[in-house]
Amino acid sequence: MKSLLKYLSPFAPDMAGAVSVLFELEGLIAICDAGGCTGNICGFDEPRWFTRKSALFSAGLRDMDAIMGRDRQLADKLIAAANNGKFNFMAMIGSPVPAVIGTDFAALKRMCSQRLDMDILAVECSGTLYYESGASAAYCELFRQAAKEKLPVKADTIGVLGATVLDCSSINVGKLIADKLEGDVQIYGMSSDFQAIRRASEVAKNIVIAPSGMKCAKYLERKFGTPWEIADLSLPETTVQAALAAGGRKCLIVHQAFAAAGLKKQLLASDDKMDIFCGSFFNKCSNISDFKFESESDFYDCIEQGNFDLVIADSALQRVVQKIYRGKWVDFMHFAVSGRLQEELYQAV
Amino acid sequence: MNNAYSISASELYQLGRENIPAELQSSKNLIYSSPATLAFNSPGAQGFGVKRAGLAVPESVMLLVSPGCCGRNTAALGRDRKYADRFYYLLQDDNDIITGRHLNRIPEAVKEICDSREQRPSAVMLCITCVDALLGTDMERVCRRCSEAAQVPVVPCYMYALTREGRLPPMASVRRSVYSLLEKMPRKSNAVNIMGYFSPLCDDCELYSLLQQTGVKHIREISRMESFAEYKLMAEANFNLVLDSEARYAAQDLSDRLGIPYIELANLHNIDKIRNQYAALGRAIGCNFDDEKFYNAAAEQIRSFTERFKQVNFAVGEWLNADSFELALALLEMGLKVVEIYGTIGERNFVYLKKIAALSPDTRIYSNLSPSMLNYSAEKSNVQAVIGQDAMYYHPAKAGIKWNGERRQFGYQAVNDLLTQLTEVLK
Repeated sequence: MKSLLKYLSPFAPDMAGAVSVLFELEGLIAICDAGGCTGNICGFDEPRWFTRKSALFSAGLRDMDAIMGRDRQLADKLIAAANNGKFNFMAMIGSPVPAVIGTDFAALKRMCSQRLDMDILAVECSGTLYYESGASAAYCELFRQAAKEKLPVKADTIGVLGATVLDCSSINVGKLIADKLEGDVQIYGMSSDFQAIRRASEVAKNIVIAPSGMKCAKYLERKFGTPWEIADLSLPETTVQAALAAGGRKCLIVHQAFAAAGLKKQLLASDDKMDIFCGSFFNKCSNISDFKFESESDFYDCIEQGNFDLVIADSALQRVVQKIYRGKWVDFMHFAVSGRLQEELYQAV
Repeated sequence: MNNAYSISASELYQLGRENIPAELQSSKNLIYSSPATLAFNSPGAQGFGVKRAGLAVPESVMLLVSPGCCGRNTAALGRDRKYADRFYYLLQDDNDIITGRHLNRIPEAVKEICDSREQRPSAVMLCITCVDALLGTDMERVCRRCSEAAQVPVVPCYMYALTREGRLPPMASVRRSVYSLLEKMPRKSNAVNIMGYFSPLCDDCELYSLLQQTGVKHIREISRMESFAEYKLMAEANFNLVLDSEARYAAQDLSDRLGIPYIELANLHNIDKIRNQYAALGRAIGCNFDDEKFYNAAAEQIRSFTERFKQVNFAVGEWLNADSFELALALLEMGLKVVEIYGTIGERNFVYLKKIAALSPDTRIYSNLSPSMLNYSAEKSNVQAVIGQDAMYYHPAKAGIKWNGERRQFGYQAVNDLLTQLTEVLK
């Protein structure tokens, strides 16, 4: 059965992706849920939440709120919380409850904007989609609301889209990325502040390191004429070295599409005789990945029929194929899959 | 004074139960999510939520039917070997959450799970979430269909966060679920169940020896049941002891279905009240408990602790194994100082406030859930020692104990253990 997970836990959902993009920007983030979704994000998918203070709230919806559709009351609570501190923006993030009852986020946004002088974002998430979808929607909404002015382009500035903990599996990946680029680097949502979003039209080029940033890059290109390109700047060196040392002949790399493609390129540069395929449980990005796994069984079938002697993927996936796969496995950590961080690895070492 | 909203105990008592300020009521505000509130928003993140609690039935497995987001944090639980191969997920997509068409797939999924395991599970706990609460799913009927398809008992677990403050909150409902597989059998006068917690009491808790004094030979707790067969023997209990009010509904259900009466004991930290409670229990079951040595030992520890630390300003949180207001009052009655309480005041615990207001009128009361807690500053507080994981978050540099371990303390043993742990960090 396609929708049945027997070996894996569910992957990071859309709300987690949205929060991951907005978390460091000092806004008020309200998840429109009953509490459990906020708990899942804070307690699991947003590791930065444990180490830095943030204005993250749950709407605390109850059965009667859902039945009666008390949007006015929710708007009042949002406004009261926004007036309780200094925030760069307010973001409302959906969850299964508003998805089922059909909450009109555009109306909610209008109600709040009449009484608040700040950017208001609405990211409609349902909890049924993967993190890439929520992160992509959050990037687009963020830049749509905050980056309105066309400023003169600064030649040495670069914007980076798609750098989230969920994709990069590290809370310190901003530095790693900045070290690989020259000039004034703005890593949106990771180490750059809200003003960098406002000045997005200044950058000479955007680099997209994960599929979640692509739609926004296209939007910025349309809006400000900013060119963009895909690059992988967040590959962990330990994984690259382990993959190079493993030395397989037929290899499958599983991650988000850009990271898998980036690693493939590096492996081929070292050994062009390797037969390398890329797969992803997430956005396949048509011409980049070879396989899109819709379910555990898709992944199982791919391994069973693929005759691979090297798999480079998050070790959480190993459980799915433990009975049939006997080749080498290199751990390619993916926080959105397993909830593990590179930092934990270093601590363990 | 802190910028976070707080009110003194005397002011709050004067306002009365009917006029609790909106800032202290979670339903009137957005709920602030800080590490201090993790246990509220996600009881399962650390400790027992519905998912983990549902697996209290030995040899059972759980199928969570939900959008992916609801099962996400279970990945952390799956790292624990005890749960690693016991969770399954049937993911709902956008069409499912509108049309409810996923209901037809559940029996097939349950059968596939049972067939895939080397050993058939004792039961399948079917966990559903807010989505099915809103769809009005008749889960009893779905479970019957699953049971027919897979030939194993299938029990619903309602993880309805939407009903958290309702008549039957999820953690009360799941307690009923985990005892629902008990079937009527002859009762034995020397068997007792302890209900309420999902982990056992500490081995040195006096409750065991007090019950043994009365001739009880079998004291059963669900968390100590190693097998399903052992679990089924809980149905032979003469009576159930309920140590957490959230188990009252389950105990009532056992009383109705199996004729097992129940007695409720409160988790108290004032040793005179503990003694009175044991005396009342003795009267209810027709015997006298000799708790003299436990009482005296606790009294002695209180005396020496208070002598050493009566000048310390304590703060009591709510992410702990106690009611924050009851515990704060007990500390005040010991002669200690409590300057701040982070807790949720309501009908259940307003009764403690009258005495807190009398003993320590200036004690400040905060709500962890209030949006204004974003502005809480430890530097503006005179707290010197804290109890509770939330309180430790606010005062990371202060001496503190979490007091929320998995093994549960109760009665005199809880008082002894609390003061021992506090002594360790304060000295």
